[in-house]
Formats: sequence, C-alpha cells, structure tokens
Amino acid sequence: MSKPSKKMTLNKKHNLTGWVFLAPGALLIFFMSFVPMGKALLLSFKTGVGAAMKSCGIMNYTRMFQDAVFVQSIKNTFFYLIIQVPLMLIFALILASILNNRQLRFKGLFRTMIFLPCATSLVAYAVIFRSLFANNGIINLLLVNLGILDQPYSFLTNTWSARIVIIIALLWRWTGYNMVFYLAGLQNIEYSVYEAAKIDGASAVQSFFKITVPLLKPTILLTAIMSTNGTLQLFDESVNLTDGGPANASITMSHYIYNMSFKYVPNFGYAAAMSFLILVLVAILAFLQMKVGDKRD
Amino acid sequence: MKRKILAALLASTMVLSLVGCGSGSDGADSAAPAQDAAATEEAAPAEDGAAAGGEETLTVWCWDPAFNMNAMYEAEKVYQKDHPDFKLNVVETPWEDVQTKVTTAAASGDLSTLPDILLMQDNAFQKNVISYPDAFVDLTNSGVDYSQFAAGKAAYSVVDGKNYGVPFDNGAVIGCYRTDILEQAGLTVDDFTDITWDQYIENGKKVLEATGKPLISMQAGECDLIMMMLQSAGSSLFNEDGTANIVNNDTLKAVMETYKALKDAGVLVEVNSWDEYVGSFVSGDVAGTINGCWIMASIQTAEDQSGKWAITNMPSLVGVSNATNYSNNGGSSWAVTANCQNTELAFDFLASTFAGSAELYDNILPSGALATWAPAGDSDAYGVGNDFFGGDAVSAKIVEYSTKVPSNITGVYYYEARDAVATAITNYINGSDVETELKTAEDTVNFNMGQ
Amino acid sequence: MIKVRKFGMYLFLIIVSFISVFPLYWMICASTNKSAEVISGRLVPGTYFMENLKALLASQNVGRALGNSFKYAIILTLLSLVISSLAGYGFEIYHDKAKDMVMNIILLAMMVPFVATMIPLFQMFSKAGWLNSTMGFILPTISTPFLIMMFRQSARSFPHDIMEAARIDGLSEIRIFFQMFIPTMRSTYAAAMTITFMNAWNSYLWPKVIMTDSNSQTMPMVVANLTQGYVTDYGMLMLAVLICTLPTAIVFFCLQNAFAEGITGAVK
Repeated sequence: MSKPSKKMTLNKKHNLTGWVFLAPGALLIFFMSFVPMGKALLLSFKTGVGAAMKSCGIMNYTRMFQDAVFVQSIKNTFFYLIIQVPLMLIFALILASILNNRQLRFKGLFRTMIFLPCATSLVAYAVIFRSLFANNGIINLLLVNLGILDQPYSFLTNTWSARIVIIIALLWRWTGYNMVFYLAGLQNIEYSVYEAAKIDGASAVQSFFKITVPLLKPTILLTAIMSTNGTLQLFDESVNLTDGGPANASITMSHYIYNMSFKYVPNFGYAAAMSFLILVLVAILAFLQMKVGDKRD
Repeated sequence: MKRKILAALLASTMVLSLVGCGSGSDGADSAAPAQDAAATEEAAPAEDGAAAGGEETLTVWCWDPAFNMNAMYEAEKVYQKDHPDFKLNVVETPWEDVQTKVTTAAASGDLSTLPDILLMQDNAFQKNVISYPDAFVDLTNSGVDYSQFAAGKAAYSVVDGKNYGVPFDNGAVIGCYRTDILEQAGLTVDDFTDITWDQYIENGKKVLEATGKPLISMQAGECDLIMMMLQSAGSSLFNEDGTANIVNNDTLKAVMETYKALKDAGVLVEVNSWDEYVGSFVSGDVAGTINGCWIMASIQTAEDQSGKWAITNMPSLVGVSNATNYSNNGGSSWAVTANCQNTELAFDFLASTFAGSAELYDNILPSGALATWAPAGDSDAYGVGNDFFGGDAVSAKIVEYSTKVPSNITGVYYYEARDAVATAITNYINGSDVETELKTAEDTVNFNMGQ
Repeated sequence: MIKVRKFGMYLFLIIVSFISVFPLYWMICASTNKSAEVISGRLVPGTYFMENLKALLASQNVGRALGNSFKYAIILTLLSLVISSLAGYGFEIYHDKAKDMVMNIILLAMMVPFVATMIPLFQMFSKAGWLNSTMGFILPTISTPFLIMMFRQSARSFPHDIMEAARIDGLSEIRIFFQMFIPTMRSTYAAAMTITFMNAWNSYLWPKVIMTDSNSQTMPMVVANLTQGYVTDYGMLMLAVLICTLPTAIVFFCLQNAFAEGITGAVK
C-alpha cells in the first residue's frame, strides 16, 4: 500500500482520465439529443396548426389522456411489452446457451440463420409477413389443410390475432439480435466453469440457472432496458403490418405520434408532449430494472 | 481470413481514434468538417440549380418512374423545344418522404432543402397549404388557365380562393370486370353499366353462385370505397365552413349500410393489405374491382388476362339525392414551393406544358397518365382502342367520366376524418351500431380539430 | 438419454433456423419470378431473375446507392465504435457516483421517439450549414446511449489484474485501453460492429430528411422508391431487398466467430 496522500492524487488522476474518456461520447449525446430534447420540451407547452404556435401551459399533457386513440395506443403498447419482451429475452438466452455448447456442430451456420431475420430489410419483412398471414397465405393454407380451421381466418383484421401477429413478428425479428449480445457475453465466462459443473453432476438446466444467468446479468440488464425502450417506441410493425388496425386495435404510441406529426394536420406541440410521456414511462421502467440489475459485486 | 478482416477493421479504428485524440477530446468534431466541406461542394451544383442565378434549371420531386417522373421528363422535352437551355433535375422522392421533408423544412423555417416544384397528393393539399402558407406559391396569376381543367379536380388545390396547384393525373373512378368470369354467370359488362349498388349485389350473388368468386376485394381498414361512394353523391365528411359532417350525414349512413350489405352478401371480400388486394384480381380470385383509373396499370401486369377485362362506370347509391355513377379516388397536382428562386421560369414551364401542351399529354398517354386538362381529351390518341380491355377506347371513356364527377370538400382535417370513418366502418361490420360509430367518429374528428 | 437430448437440441435448432431462414428463401424465389407470380404466392424459383435485374438497374442507380450505403455505414461504424467504447470504458473502469449518475442521464437520451426531436435537430443543422452533408448524415448517430451502455456493461468483466499489471509496467491509461482493453474485448467489439453496421446500413428517416440530393441516395431509399409507384413490381422489389439485405448478413457471417468462439490467443 502506498501512502494515503499519493493514492488520493492517483485516484484523482484516474477520475479525471475517466471524464476525458467519456467526454467525446457524452458531449455528442448532449448536443445531438439533449439540446433538441430541450427544444421539444419547450414545444410541448405550445399548441397550434403548423407554423403558428402559441403557449398553452400543460394543456397538451392533460389532453392526451382524453384522446381515446392515444389511450388505446398506450394499452396496446403495454400489451406488447408485457408479453413480448420476457418471451424474447428468455428465448434468446436459451438459444445462446445452446449455441455456446462446444460439442455442437454447424454452430456458425445455425447462428447466422437465426440472426438473419433482423438483417432482413423492413420492406421485405413487411411484405413477407403480410403474405404469410393473408387470407390465402401459407399459414391459412396449412391450418385449413390440417383441419384446424374450416375456412381461412383473417389474421390481420381481427383485434386479438392482429396483436398476436405483431408479437410473433417481433419475436421473429429480434430474438436473434438479442442472442448476439448473450453470445458475446458468454465468451467472457470461462468455459471450464461449465465443465467443472458438469463433473460435479450439475444438469444443463442447473448450470443455466446457476452459472449462465448470474454471470450474464450485466448483459441481461442491457438487453432488458433496450427491449423495453424499443417496444415502448415500437413503430415499424404497427405501420407496416397492420397499419394500426383493425380500428386502432394494434396502433402503438409512436405510430400515433408520427401520424400527429406527418399524416394529420401537424401539431408538434402535442406530438412532443406525447413523446415525453414515453420518456417518463421508459425511464421509470429502466430505473426499476437498474435497481434490480445494476449492482457491482 | 475472417480474423484478418477483423484485425484490419480494428486497426483502422485505432488509427482514426488516435487522430482524434491527438487534437484533444473533441476528436470527432475536429476531424469531420473536412469531410463535410468536401461533401457540400460536391452536392451544391447538382442540388439547387434554380438558386444558381440565370441558369434555366428547375428541381422537381415526384415518385413514380413509370408515371409522373416520366411525365416530367416528357414535359422537359416539350419545353426544351422553345427553351434549349432549359433543364430539369428530377429527384425520385416517395410521397411519404415528400410529406415528411416538406413538414420538417417548413416547421424548421428553413425551406432551402425544398425543390422548385413538387408533386402533391390532392388529399393533402388543403392541409399543407393551410398549415404552412409561406411554403407554397400562389399560382392564380401564374398564367395557368384554370378554366381548362375539370372543375372538381382543380378545386383540390384551391385554398381561400387561390390556386396553389397545377392539376396532373386523373383519379376518375372506374369499374373493372373480368368478362370471362361474368360470362360464366350469364352476365356482360353492360349489366354493370349505369346500375345501382342493389343491382350490383344481385349480379354479384349470381357470379358468386356460378363461380364461387366475389365481385370485388377491398383492403380492410382503408376506406377508399367508402370515400368513392360518398363523393359519387357529392357528399363530403366536412361542411363548407370546415365543421365535421359525419353524424348528420345521411349519405354517409347509406354508404356504410351499402358497404355492410356488400360484405354480408359475400360479394365483397376484405383483404389484409394492398399487396393482397392487387394479388386478388391479378390472380383471378375476384371478378373485378372498383377504384381510381390508375388501377388499370396494376391490372395490366397480368399479361395473360389481356382481352378479358372491360371497363365501365361505378354503381350509384340507392335512396340518396344527387346519386351519380361517377366519383374520384386519388390523383395529384404540381405545387411550386417558396424556395423556387426563378418563379417566372417555373410558372412558364407549367403553363406551357401541363396546362398548355396537348403534345405532352399525347406523349404520356401510353404510360397511363390521363389528362385532367380538357383540351387534351380531344386528341385522337384518346380515341385509340386498348386491346387489353377488349379494344375499347378506355382513355376517352375515362376523360368523359372525369367531367361528370361531383366535386367534394377534402377539408384540412381530411386524413383525421378518413381514419375515424375507417374505424367506424370496421366496428360497424363487426356488429356495432351505425349511429354509435358515426357519433364516435365525429367526436374523434372534433377532438382533433380542437387543438 | 444424452443422445435423445442431443437429438432434441438439433431438432429445436433446425426448426428455429428454418423459421428464421424461410423469408430469405422467399425473397430469393421472389427475385426470380414475375411480379404477378410473386403476389399470387409462388414459392418456387423461377426464370425471371435476369429480367428483374435488368429492370432494377434500368430504373434505379443501384451501384451508386450501394457505394453510398457502404461509405456512410463504414464511417459511422468506425467512429461510433471508438467514441462509444472509449466512453463506456471511462464510465465503468473509473466509475464513481457522479459517473454512474451521468450514465443514467445519458440513457434518457434514447427514450424520446426520434420524431419529436427531429425538427429541432434539423433546425440546428440548418443553422450550422450541415444540411445535405456527410457530417449531417452521420453526426446524430455516432454516439449512442445503447453502445456506450453495451461497452460499460462488458467492461465490468475486464480483469482488474490485467489493469494493475499494465499500470505497474508503466503503461499510460489510454494505452491500456488500446493495447489491453480492445484486444481482450474482441467479442464485444465484433458484436457491436455487427449491430452498428446493421443500424447504419438500414437508417432511413434522418438521412432522407437531411439529404436532398439524388447523388446521396442509399440502398434503403432505393427500396423505398420501388414501393411507391401506382404499380409495384414485386419481383424487382424483392431483388432490390435481397441486395439490400446481403451486406449485413455477410458482415454477420464474417464477424460471428469473433464474438461467439471465445477468447483465444488474446493478450495475456
């Protein structure tokens, strides 16, 4: 141990180095995100058509809870969040730990195939999913031929099936993406830990819960926060698969905010206010997740 | 090999970052302006030709290479005959992006990214001009003779008595039918001409019985057909004073009931998406469709069905005053933006091409661009038969239809109202009560208007 | 017993892979068929590939779009990896209460939908004269809370003894980052590179708003152009989509061993 005074200065020096390292990234985020966010926040207290805006206090913030379509969109979005995020993360974890098995053959091939969905461009993905679930699409063809359905079911035009198709689409598209982070995280765990556990008679399930999950905790936290954020800002699927329909049964908050900005008579004050509600919701959820998951040992 | 790629990438990463660190913590910001300057220099001459003083170049945004972009190129050729130095810079920009870019630029107060001329959907004209009046140029005294355009069409781009657009493509509604399928039910296209929706349903049942095929498919959740039916009786979702006209609109109620009757009879089948809609008639799963005349281009992609299609007008509403067999769906007009530095040139170009050249309209007719400029319809080219549609002179027919279309009021809140009505029809079909749904729709629209 | 489990594992992977790969197969088939065939759900390869290719090349400048996409995606990926990983490293290795706090605040930056901040950002860029420039294209996404957090989380497993040893050897802090951290964290870098490249490659809304010149069209814009006409040529569209998808898939395929095969031969 060196002398306390010297350690202090070394700590100070390291502290400063840390700030210098994170400065470029943090400053960029400050200018590219927080400055525009500040402006949007000011805008959220104004109202008006197009360029003519005037102050309106917190009117936009009270208004959104009387907006039946927006309230519906909040419900829809939370439905996606609660069902899809846990399913996807668990599924991604399972896939990652299977693919981390050293004895497994064709690992590279399996990994690439499972990753492919999120590399697929949105246009193709939308066209393909719409055609799969079309009245004369493969899914209906299959279900009718297997005798499960008497006649084709219109998946995208019925309330619950439209929501479920969106969840399936999200699972399909993003499971492989999350798997990537887990695979990368797993590389930082010594493989010998697993071998030792096996020798001690631990089953695969046991090592999954006793080794994989605890050691991947930082990564799980990362993916949980990112998926929560991604789902609360969900846009692509709602726009491209169901166009929010039937009768707004699948519209998401971001989709409605977009409509309010670019499809309808532009009302940026109101759109900004609704966006800040998303911020508050994600921040609360992320805070809770951080509380549970962001502890250094 | 893979490792080498990774190593190379990582190495270059380090080099870049070292350069950054050398000049302090703000590496990115100090390194980037050089690139930036180069990029702007590169882009400047091509991007904003009109701003470059005396040069006779106009920048245009539109979105369909086979259709409206082609029309612009043809217009350039026509105009170049008298103005050899004239040049167009056509930038392919999908409609939704035109809308996003116009809104962003206008809301930011920097119009410099906008082109000189852009194509705008007729349905969005009122909304954009009223929201951002400073972004568009008044064309009333630009030399364009508006009396030569179909009145209903020109009305889309009139705001406060001023013209802001030069009408372009025709959206007159046509009924398209597979004659070979109708034949199996003992029907011809004449049985679908000048009829009512009641007769249409009767005919549809016969076709369904004989072939098992519905007469028409429509995209669920979109209310194109509803809007077409509504306009065919001259009715709108708004009143002249801009207030919503939904709950007390008896025509709308009749339209909704007709739509439900079509669906309940199995004559109309709802599909999930636009692709599926086009697919349904291209692959012969339905016996026809009703839509704006631009739908012909999609129909003609089914080359094997050449000669088996026929075109006529649409059915009319029953029990509604002013009911006609004519309507409109879609269509667009050219607007001049406030970023145009050489408005004289833009005015003259539009006045002597889209509002003054029968030759232009003849040249673009093969691409399916039907004129709304009356003198063009007199051209011989419009009387030529189209083999795909059994040798019928469809162009002349459609131009004739378009003169009979009742005009309607789009209103500023058109898209809001349209979505609200789409929600209403979906719920109504699923068993809800029509009065309740129309009330909800009107409440939604009023809510949106009360900002 | 073990055999049964192994068989089950393979079966499971094969099913998942099949479901994942099916759309790609669909795209490949579609790109070899005529538009009307695609839309009627034909699922076998056809003979129309060359015609689709010719039509695509005739209607869109695919070469230029690919060039632009590669240019922007590569610049963006390299810059953002360096800046974000340095920041993530700074946040974790030198962590204290203040930095943890700043990290939490930074996370807020990603929680507002971009639609809301796009117009203020556009205003700023218009004042700075960055409209229609490479700078304007890449600057907003160089540093992302996501990447910073990703590197912060993975820096947690960076062994402290390596650091201590390096410090005793007299390495400066920045050299520890470049010579020790980057090579050790290879798998994280490879994963981050894949994801960042993919996001940069597919970015659409902001580039579209800020780039007005047709010379700066990217691949996703070409794909969007093809969906906009009164008539969509689905065969040609799917070919364009295929071309747009392949680079990300190839990047993934090349980098996957680096992030999924464990640390071999890393710096001790």
